[in-house]
Amino acid sequence: MNRNIFGSFLFVSLIVVFGLMACSNKTDGGSEEDNDIISVTFWHSMSGENGTNFEEIVEEFNNQSDNIHIESVYQGSYTDLITKIRAMGNTDEAPAIIQASGTNRKYLAESDFVEPMQKFIDEEDFDTSQLEENALNRYVIEDTLYSMPFSTSNAVMYYNKDMFREVGLDPDNPPQTFSEIEDAAQKIKDATGNYGFTMATIGWYFEQLLANQGELYLDNDNGFSGEPTKSLVNEEAGQGIFQWLDNMNKAETFKNYGSDWEDPRAPFLAGQVGIYFDSSANIREVVKQAPFEIATAPLPVPDGVEPHGATVGGNSNYITNKVSEEEQKAAWEFIKYTVSPGVQAKWASVTGYFPVTKAANEEDVLKETYDEFPQMLTAVEVNNKTPAEPAMSGPLSDDGEQFRSIIEAAQEKVYEGEDPKKALDEAAEKINDLLK
Amino acid sequence: MMRKIFFYIILCISALLLFAPILYAVSASFMTPQEIYAGALFPSSINFDAYKEVVNSIPLFHFLWVSFVMSFMVMVGQLAVSSLSAYAFVFIPFKGRNLIFFLFLSTMLIPWEATIIPNFLTIMKLDWLNTYQGLTFPFFALPFGIFLLRQHFLTIPKEIWESAQVDGCSRLRFFYKFALPLSKSSLSALAVYGFLTTWNKYLWPLLVTNDNSVRTVQIGLKMLIAQEGSSQWNVVMAAVVVILLPTLFLLFIGIKYIREGLTAGAVKG
Amino acid sequence: MGVVKKEVNVKKQRKKEVKLFGVGMLYLLPAIILLSVFLFYPMFKTLYFSFFEVQGGGTVERFVGFENYISLFKSSEFKESLKATFLFVLYVVPGEIIVSLFLAVIASEKMKGMGFFRTIFSSTLGVSVAAGATIFLFIFHPSLGAINNVLGFLGFGPIEWLTSSKIALISVAITTIWMHIGINFIILLGGIQNIPEEMYESAKIDGAGYFSRLFKITIPMLSPVLFFVSMIAIIGSFQTFGQIDLLTGGGPDNSTNLIVYSIYKQAFSYGHFGFASAQAIILFFIILLATIVQFRFGERKVHYQ
Repeated sequence: MNRNIFGSFLFVSLIVVFGLMACSNKTDGGSEEDNDIISVTFWHSMSGENGTNFEEIVEEFNNQSDNIHIESVYQGSYTDLITKIRAMGNTDEAPAIIQASGTNRKYLAESDFVEPMQKFIDEEDFDTSQLEENALNRYVIEDTLYSMPFSTSNAVMYYNKDMFREVGLDPDNPPQTFSEIEDAAQKIKDATGNYGFTMATIGWYFEQLLANQGELYLDNDNGFSGEPTKSLVNEEAGQGIFQWLDNMNKAETFKNYGSDWEDPRAPFLAGQVGIYFDSSANIREVVKQAPFEIATAPLPVPDGVEPHGATVGGNSNYITNKVSEEEQKAAWEFIKYTVSPGVQAKWASVTGYFPVTKAANEEDVLKETYDEFPQMLTAVEVNNKTPAEPAMSGPLSDDGEQFRSIIEAAQEKVYEGEDPKKALDEAAEKINDLLK
Repeated sequence: MMRKIFFYIILCISALLLFAPILYAVSASFMTPQEIYAGALFPSSINFDAYKEVVNSIPLFHFLWVSFVMSFMVMVGQLAVSSLSAYAFVFIPFKGRNLIFFLFLSTMLIPWEATIIPNFLTIMKLDWLNTYQGLTFPFFALPFGIFLLRQHFLTIPKEIWESAQVDGCSRLRFFYKFALPLSKSSLSALAVYGFLTTWNKYLWPLLVTNDNSVRTVQIGLKMLIAQEGSSQWNVVMAAVVVILLPTLFLLFIGIKYIREGLTAGAVKG
Repeated sequence: MGVVKKEVNVKKQRKKEVKLFGVGMLYLLPAIILLSVFLFYPMFKTLYFSFFEVQGGGTVERFVGFENYISLFKSSEFKESLKATFLFVLYVVPGEIIVSLFLAVIASEKMKGMGFFRTIFSSTLGVSVAAGATIFLFIFHPSLGAINNVLGFLGFGPIEWLTSSKIALISVAITTIWMHIGINFIILLGGIQNIPEEMYESAKIDGAGYFSRLFKITIPMLSPVLFFVSMIAIIGSFQTFGQIDLLTGGGPDNSTNLIVYSIYKQAFSYGHFGFASAQAIILFFIILLATIVQFRFGERKVHYQ
């Protein structure tokens, strides 16, 4: 009896499996189902609430367009997506539009499957002056724009205004230099016993602190005027950053909470630390969750150095040449839509990114958001002041991702007592090895 | 009596310690964000907001279905392929079988990360992207499963095999009339193992599918977590619980059969 | 006459062997095809890649000979990786076997309600790496996590579970041990239940106490199963990946950058596919060596019935 049951289970299962295989017809996202409607595949990495908001933008585009349908597909994190593109970019399976973060911009620009955005811009005399120059510059290599920025953010300093009042710091006049932050952090520590300052151990912040001093990360203009040969992270400016972190760490006014974006947020929101750095894209969320008053300020500079501004973070969109010309045109229509003032204003107000398009700042929806969250304006102002220099566009290299983890490891060494100069020199050496 | 009480105390403490992480996840999934930030261990009231958020933001039930089909197919495939191979290694005395067996075993040593890109290219060449074949075929041959079943088949007394041969039982018939039913415990253990490990895959399904219609629930979990944004821990924990429920449920049912099989094996000695 | 007969026999024997081989192959065919396509082929491809500079997608750029291997052995990170991996295996393998064995032993008692406990003890088999690691990420959270909150309540300072390079590897090991308990427990409990009752009874008559029975009967009789479990444990811990990705990302200061994670990073995040392939080959040989050593030492100690 038992045996029969077992045997028939196996038999039925086999039938089910092969039945399913026969049924599972290929569902191809990129093919045109209808003769009039052009289907365009778009791979992106927007998840969480950003994902929901992003899908809304795509849907609105599809609704207002007569003949284009954007098929947006979530492809995991930026790393997951680029993994997939590395394997599939050169095949017919590649999508029409790819979203990527800035660290992969050199790889994509030099790949065979990306159609420079410049081509579509030139063909149509599309006016790029309406876009933020600083955002475009990050994706321009040798006068060619390879991708269209979509989400832009930079790093800003968040501080707890209530705590500032409590310890006798001026809540409307935040510290703006390294030593001012050190002093403020000490004051917080002395008065409350809490930590004064923290930042997640993410290499991006080091890049930002370097850029804010107007200093280069790599030689040959950060790789923009030629292949970089040497890392400049351990020059005076970089050493200053490491020394500054080491001072606070030794004074126990700084605490390392981890290497994830959100690691410092919880202690900040719980009032365990007074000042921290975060991406400007999170201001909305953090302000909403905080039981105290929050303000933001630009990142600090060493004493006596003029603040330069910030490198934009976020992502940009690429059009591939693996699809028909018709699909490329349709993709370009969508790209234009994503940088139209209305869409950028909406995207900025629901996410916390600042708009790529200048005119978006005049849209009511964004103005209202800024009224409600004036903290968001810091990033916009910093961006407006940022000059068009290679130092402000971040290091341009295939190994940008790895540079970051090298710097992160060096930072972690310092937090555990390593000499900051030694740690940074070793990191620079490792980056140099990669440049060979 | 004292001895029993002593064992119950140890058992209870062990069970509590072992299960605490899961209980904590369930507890956190019912919390409000404020309670999370206050570092609470238990929610003050049962709050389903996080679950609503999970169901509303992704096509959860569809993802669960795809995960189920994929895991079921791999389970069946692994059972079929592993039992056939293990049977050959034990009951067919052909030359070179030990060599082939060790060759099979050696594949257990291959780091999975090394195979993923070549396998992906293979699936692409076969034009199997976005299909269940592409999702499942690479996992059908499981050296661990072959190893496990071989060890079990070895415990089947030779007398049964010999008397069956005397009765004129063919190899294939012995396979499904005797060998398989006598190995129910190992087969169910392998089935549960195969189902669960497939259910838990993330990178492979992500690579070989480009379409939400063949996306699995693990990808859904990732879709809920903002990349650089703030994680809402209560929502994340709710998603974790939703993913855990089917597998824990299956395990709780399956464990009964595994245990029965194991006791049967014990009696047989 | 005799010679002819012998020849016929040899012929018959050969014929029979060929036939057996054919039948054997028939049963093995599905496995051979699948393993060749999805494991052997990628393995050879990886070996091939390790001598080239390869882009992430598998596009071969140029032959570099042993350059990948040379830079691998020169790199201090690889040494750190090796050290972390060995330490990790050293923490995880004995840890998970001792804990699972303990649970299997106490759950093998014949008492009411044991089904409940056995279900709980095997439950972590149903927890995916992603889900399990996410839960532990929250538990280890420096300011929200349960453990530090309880410690704080008891008056102890917080422990830097994931941010101290001295503790992070242990935290990852704890997570891994927890996740592996389920499967090990099931296999070990099965092994204990397979030990014939008579052996215990005769020991009882001889007046052997609980611990003497445990160490004189249960554990020796369990040795083939323990051998199997430890082999799976060693291979599994050498190939640990998901926990690292979610909990520490290889940090702090590369202290949890296990080889497999480093392979993943190099191949997928950084696009150095050839370099990663060389690492994969090295890892293959390390695991191979560990397994051979284990067979050598293990076999002597294993009691077969």
